[in-house]
Amino acid sequence: MKVSFPYMGTTVVYKKLLELLGHEVIMPPKPSQRTINLGVKYSPEFACFPLKVIMGSYMEAVEKGTEVIVTSGGHGPCRAGFYERVHSRILEEEDYNVEFIVFDSMFRDYKKFLQNVLRIKGDSSWYKVGKSLMLVYDMIKKLDVLEKEVQKTRAYEFKKGETTRAWEKIQNLFDRAYTKKAMEEAFEDGKELLSQIKQVPIAENKKVKIGIVGEIYVVMEASINMKLEEVLGSLGVEVERSQYLTQWINYNALPKFMNHSHETEILSKGERYIPIEIGGHAKQTVGHIVDFSERGFDGVVHLMPFGCLPELVSQSIVPKITADLGIPVLTLSIDEQTGTTNNLTRIEAFLDLIKGKRVRKIS
Amino acid sequence: MQDIYLGIDVGSVSTNIVALNNEGEVVHSQYIRTNGQPLESVKNGLRELKKNIDQNTNIKGVGTTGSGRQLVGVMVGADVIKNEITAHATATAQVVPDVKTIFEIGGQDSKIIIIENQMVVDFAMNTVCAAGTGSFLDHQAERLGVPIEKFGDMALAAERDVRIAGRCTVFAESDMIAKQQFGFSKGEIIRGLCEALVRNYINNLGRGKKLEPPFVFQGGVAANKGIKSAFEKEIGHEVIIPKYFNIMGALGSAILAKELMEETGSDTNFRGFEAADLDFMPSTFECGGCSNNCEVIKVELDKQVIAMWGDRCGKWTNSL
Repeated sequence: MKVSFPYMGTTVVYKKLLELLGHEVIMPPKPSQRTINLGVKYSPEFACFPLKVIMGSYMEAVEKGTEVIVTSGGHGPCRAGFYERVHSRILEEEDYNVEFIVFDSMFRDYKKFLQNVLRIKGDSSWYKVGKSLMLVYDMIKKLDVLEKEVQKTRAYEFKKGETTRAWEKIQNLFDRAYTKKAMEEAFEDGKELLSQIKQVPIAENKKVKIGIVGEIYVVMEASINMKLEEVLGSLGVEVERSQYLTQWINYNALPKFMNHSHETEILSKGERYIPIEIGGHAKQTVGHIVDFSERGFDGVVHLMPFGCLPELVSQSIVPKITADLGIPVLTLSIDEQTGTTNNLTRIEAFLDLIKGKRVRKIS
Repeated sequence: MQDIYLGIDVGSVSTNIVALNNEGEVVHSQYIRTNGQPLESVKNGLRELKKNIDQNTNIKGVGTTGSGRQLVGVMVGADVIKNEITAHATATAQVVPDVKTIFEIGGQDSKIIIIENQMVVDFAMNTVCAAGTGSFLDHQAERLGVPIEKFGDMALAAERDVRIAGRCTVFAESDMIAKQQFGFSKGEIIRGLCEALVRNYINNLGRGKKLEPPFVFQGGVAANKGIKSAFEKEIGHEVIIPKYFNIMGALGSAILAKELMEETGSDTNFRGFEAADLDFMPSTFECGGCSNNCEVIKVELDKQVIAMWGDRCGKWTNSL
């Protein structure tokens, strides 16, 4: 069957898994103005921005011949859990013929989960499924290591844009790798590519590190967050995101009683601010702000889709965290508006604030 | 022979120019309506400046700020191109050294800046909602048929309080019409409007922030006494309006230019007053190189491309 998936972050990963299981994968196009226009046109006006972008992205994938869309469900009282229902109804109304396979947490509905697995498994043997999963997991880990390196290197690159181009090359290398050995080679080549980038030497005490937190889609998908990581990189700032695929998988693939992943640690760090699960990524957001602060980051940029309820809650807690820990936080709300001037002004002023804190004057 | 440092603030409503001498005193200042033509207004400003200063003056440094900072920075040859939040804070921290809270309300946006020990520790900027900006007042003044300059005095002369919804200009407008029909005078309604604007401002920008005195109120709207008194009523404390309240952004960028040039001792990039007569052609085009479709801004001088920006990958910026 011709399969596609929502576009978010390092998409080569999802593609690889589905390919290894013998499916024909239709790559959804990277969200562009057209994607956004389509999504905004057919989604409910009050829906959050990620829902709209994914809507548009599904439509484009169906136009390219997709028969089945594989996606994950949400958990907790956030709209994301109803995404698939809304999406599939709209697609049906607009005569886009497509079927959905939604993976909710396997601990919620084990039978449904198994059914979904069997469909994705197709004719592959269980051995092959296991092997493919291991291979892809290994690939994600390698890509995350390289991406973290990219996010550091970009801040000091001599020629603007060189690191981003290298990162695209690296993703291509992995896209072409189908065996463990080939992955290993892609990893080594990737490291080599990054080490060859000419860097401007900056004294250690002059370096600025900023963490990016917030709702997962606006944090992970650069095409809709004004390419925040690249913008900060071009202003000479090292960045690290709250979300990486490895963490997401580690956290979601294990049952609670034996889950000692990085994410549970983050969640407990934020518990004094948000003790209960309120949906979306609000708990992660506050946990990560505390974590970034403990790890000596200079500041945090908090991204939220305009009108996102869980992130509005975390936004209103941010001043308290800043007062407790002294870490500056800039909240930016993301919507279909593409003009970046105002946000750029905020980001520049935020960096001045951080640098000013060091020299103890406005700079 | 006199040395001066220029600060140019190109905003959506006004373009302001400030000249500082070596002692940091303002020797010349201008407040010009931008009228949607930032380049023209800066050119006019430069010509005006040249007429008004000693012919032997030496321009030692130039700073630009405001939404048109980059474009005008290229045109005049700026040494410092800074965002308006930093520029405003710089100016205020110099004029009122112990300032803790800055209210800035301009034509199309408003800001709040929190300062501790002369350092910016927090800020917020409102650009989505017109209800907290000068345009809101402009618009209502027009509706009431009252010149905006008279707004303040009329508000202060009002005898009764009237509450007007300030959540959104649309609600404010229908509320105003209703209150007019209840028999409230124009002055009273104007006072209600000023209070509505301040409430909206504090709710939007002050949310979650600790507002502590000294309070400084600046930006074009600070000329309006009605708003000043509405602020004082809302926060229950005196509000300081600095002498150069409507050109603080330009003042800040002049200070930043002065500091930088004194620190580095380098020569200015200023193109000279001839810049006012050069033919700068800004234009934009959509780069179709990849799916980003960036809108690239190109500035030409005598058919020669002198600056490009707006591309995310650096393809055009690096091409020069």
